Amino acid sequence: MELPDRFYMKAEFIETASGNKVSKKSVLCGSQNIVLNGKSIICNDCIVRGDLANVRIGRYCVIGARSVIRPPFKKFSKGVAFFPLHIGDHVFIDEECIINAAQIGSYVHIGKNCVIGRRCVLKECCAIGDNVYLPPETVVPPFTVITGNPGKPTGELPECTQDLMVDATKGFYQHFLPVQEVK
Amino acid sequence: MEATPGTCSVKISPGAVVCVEAEIRGDVTIGARTVVHPRACIIAESGPIVIGESNLIEEQVLIINKKPDNGPADSKPETLTIGSNNVFEVGCRCESLKIGDHNVVEAKAAVGRDTELTRGCVIGAFCEVTGHEALADNTIIYGDQYDQRRQYEKPPDQTLQLDFLMKILPNYHRLKKSTKTGDR
Repeated sequence: MELPDRFYMKAEFIETASGNKVSKKSVLCGSQNIVLNGKSIICNDCIVRGDLANVRIGRYCVIGARSVIRPPFKKFSKGVAFFPLHIGDHVFIDEECIINAAQIGSYVHIGKNCVIGRRCVLKECCAIGDNVYLPPETVVPPFTVITGNPGKPTGELPECTQDLMVDATKGFYQHFLPVQEVK
Repeated sequence: MEATPGTCSVKISPGAVVCVEAEIRGDVTIGARTVVHPRACIIAESGPIVIGESNLIEEQVLIINKKPDNGPADSKPETLTIGSNNVFEVGCRCESLKIGDHNVVEAKAAVGRDTELTRGCVIGAFCEVTGHEALADNTIIYGDQYDQRRQYEKPPDQTLQLDFLMKILPNYHRLKKSTKTGDR
């Protein structure tokens, strides 16, 4: 399936040497702690909290509008710490999500308006539906579909999920095209 | 008193950490040791907002003191009061006029204007509480059916997290300066 072209104003996005497209309207706190491995897209009004801990985002990731990526917090018997947050390659995060996970594997799809609780671990090739609340410290196994509030496994994904997600995220990147502002 | 745009009457106690990127409008008082993350919104539209000590207000939180749409136009301005040790998680919306101590409003939850949170209440993620009621101490509301139960203890304090944030936020963000009380 071919995705339709999506256009953005060239002036609104910054394109880095490695092909990342980051909206100027997004908020990247502590940008020295944020690593985008290339060809990732960060849409309008996203918030990525690199000031709390390191955030590493793989290749061909899409982070939808108004999503918040925020490293999780854990209290120990002695002191406290924010955990670094790692997101794999070919991860699609839709609009208005709040990601508090500790780790998100590659080839993961997260639907609209989700809340991923503190220190969740999403393994490779899993999918989260729309409006899902994943309680803190949940581990999502590979090839699982999670829906509902609180999120429960409700289905399985086919073995070709990896290829599907590679196609989807690469397609999204290729069809995310700049237009010059017309005045 | 209608808060006119442009009038800066934000009072920040010494020891509070309020990021410049947070949007604060109108007559707002923020107590000591309260942390306000960037992109939080505190809007005193139809009356003052008073926030106590050791609260944690995360990004995309909207705390608003707004007249009800169908209320009388000339009603007296009421103060929105928030106690101490409350946590407002990412993306929640709070219009409640009275919030006690040790409450937690989780991500994307909403609390209406006529709902009162007493002590130790937890509003779970996605839950909307808008009724005209005062929630009893240690009430928890959770799940998509808005189930309700009581817990035996209030939620733990976030003192350690606040200490940590107070240490690291000034390294990355510009902060709003604290003002002396009574000084505008």
